[in-house]
Amino acid sequence: MKKVMVLFVALLAVSLSAGFANAEGNSTKGKYLYRNIYKDCSARGEIPSSTPIVSPSDKTQSQWERTFEKKKFDVFGCTTEFNNLTEANLENIYTYLHGHAADSPTPAKCK
Amino acid sequence: MKKMRVNFKFCLWLVLAAVFVLGLSNESSANEAPVAPGIALAKQAKPEEKGSTVDHSKLKQLDKNFKSGDEITKACLECHTEADHQFKKTYHWTWKDPKSEGGKGADSVNNFCISANNMEDPLCIKCHPGWNGKKGEVNCLSCHGQEKFDFAEAFKDIQDVSAVGDKESIEIVKGIQDDVKKAAQDVGAVRRRNCGDCHFKGGGGDGVKHGDLDTSLLKPSRELDVHMGIDGENFDCTRCHTTTSHNIAGRFYGTPAEGRHKSLMDDDQISRISCESCHSATPHKPGVKANDHTDKVACQSCHIPTFARELPTKMYWDWSASGKLKDGKYYSEEGPYGKHTYDTKKGDFVWGKDVVPEYYWYNGTMTDTTVNDIIDPSKPVKLRWPIGTPNAKDSRIFPFKVHVGKQPYDLKGKNFLAPLVSGPKDYWKTLDWEDAFTRGMATLGKTWSGEYGFVDTKYAFPTTHMVVPGENALSCTECHTPANGRLANIEGVYIPGRDRLGYLGYLGWFIILASLAGVLIHAAIRIASSKRRD
Repeated sequence: MKKVMVLFVALLAVSLSAGFANAEGNSTKGKYLYRNIYKDCSARGEIPSSTPIVSPSDKTQSQWERTFEKKKFDVFGCTTEFNNLTEANLENIYTYLHGHAADSPTPAKCK
Repeated sequence: MKKMRVNFKFCLWLVLAAVFVLGLSNESSANEAPVAPGIALAKQAKPEEKGSTVDHSKLKQLDKNFKSGDEITKACLECHTEADHQFKKTYHWTWKDPKSEGGKGADSVNNFCISANNMEDPLCIKCHPGWNGKKGEVNCLSCHGQEKFDFAEAFKDIQDVSAVGDKESIEIVKGIQDDVKKAAQDVGAVRRRNCGDCHFKGGGGDGVKHGDLDTSLLKPSRELDVHMGIDGENFDCTRCHTTTSHNIAGRFYGTPAEGRHKSLMDDDQISRISCESCHSATPHKPGVKANDHTDKVACQSCHIPTFARELPTKMYWDWSASGKLKDGKYYSEEGPYGKHTYDTKKGDFVWGKDVVPEYYWYNGTMTDTTVNDIIDPSKPVKLRWPIGTPNAKDSRIFPFKVHVGKQPYDLKGKNFLAPLVSGPKDYWKTLDWEDAFTRGMATLGKTWSGEYGFVDTKYAFPTTHMVVPGENALSCTECHTPANGRLANIEGVYIPGRDRLGYLGYLGWFIILASLAGVLIHAAIRIASSKRRD
């Protein structure tokens, strides 16, 4: 039973990480969700400007993969908003950030 | 006799005193003299008050959820009924010079990205003020939008997110549409950024093409540009580049910016594009020698000592070196000023900063070279070069940035080639010159022989922005010097200090020395004779 549980957890972890690595969300929706997080966050007064603190091109694709696999969202600043995101929307944001990472064909900066 | 000598001395002192007092009074009267009309007129110029009688956010025509750029323009034209007809006749739309039939929209070539390929090069066309290149409606907001907004991205995003269809996406689409509407309503007079988005970044990047136009002019100091300096006159571009029926004053190809050398005092209907428009032909204080130069020397020659003073500009581009790979991959090398000196896609570069211009006679028009012209590849080809002669009434000595290049030409046809470079199937993706030439020449309705080489070229740009304050202008000795002066290569005019007139010069010195000797001999005789009389 213990072995089955370990196998199940391992499979879940692999499938989750594979999901992020594949970046199958909606990049455009992710871009606006990401922007809206910072709009809400700055409206709450947690950050001074509504411009995202981190741009997609601030990290490489593998760095984004690790960030989302380990759910290290403190790098974004607005943890309240990030913690409230659904898995689907996290996937959308990940797809956007990963698709425009520093080593992607179309690196992007948030203006 | 003694009394007479005293009287003589008294008279001498009196004369000297009179001369001294007269000199002083002349100097003080010169100081108090009325300022030159050219200065007085220019000093009245203040940044334009651009008040508007319309709040565009209150117009029902603009209170819509726009789905395309063309829809926005149609809304603009409901009130500004003639604007598109006017604009589509201008050079900014056609990219063709009505006089020479040359231009980016025609067959002209340069030594940067070489050709706009009949407006089919995707990178060049980004600067065309239409929503879809030369097809469709004019994008009024490229010049009149007050804040930068990426409409193309927003319209694409609306489509993409709408396709998702969930509640959240509908909210997002609403948000984007509100942003589009807000940007469409935020219109007004043209600002520096509107012009600068293209003109500061000509040639594909900041300061690449023009040495006197780059993003340092968005917020320059008075020292960088006395007219645009935010601590100086703080002029927008349109303060000098005045507009009539959407025709913006300025030079392009064979059409001079202003060839009449008139001031607003002569004719108040002229544009304000030339220095003379506001400063007249005698811009300095009365009696100042510089006023005597203005019929031969352009104001820019002394008042723009160097260009690219804050940001570097590209001075050399060798396309023949492009196409090299490192470990099978594209690569670039960084050099001085943090700029690339090599790029697989483009070749070798040299950048310059604080560059001393080259000087040529110039009547406001330039030569133009197209893919149809037969060239002599044994020497550098002057793609665009100033036209002017020393004795022509409308020619002045003018400063230029000269960009040197090495670019492809047809070995058999002896004409320039116009490759397609920036699209998804073009040279920068394929590194295949032959394919890029074939498809690029086809955009111009041309073919090529199949054999190519590279030829050295030169391309001159008149330098007319980055005007320094008077106190920083060139001193006389920069030009009036026997060797290595700024105008050392200028022919057809006598420049004192630089030029010698052979025997005439020796004759002059002989006359001076002879006069001096005459005075001394005369004085000696007078002294000797007076002693004899005593």
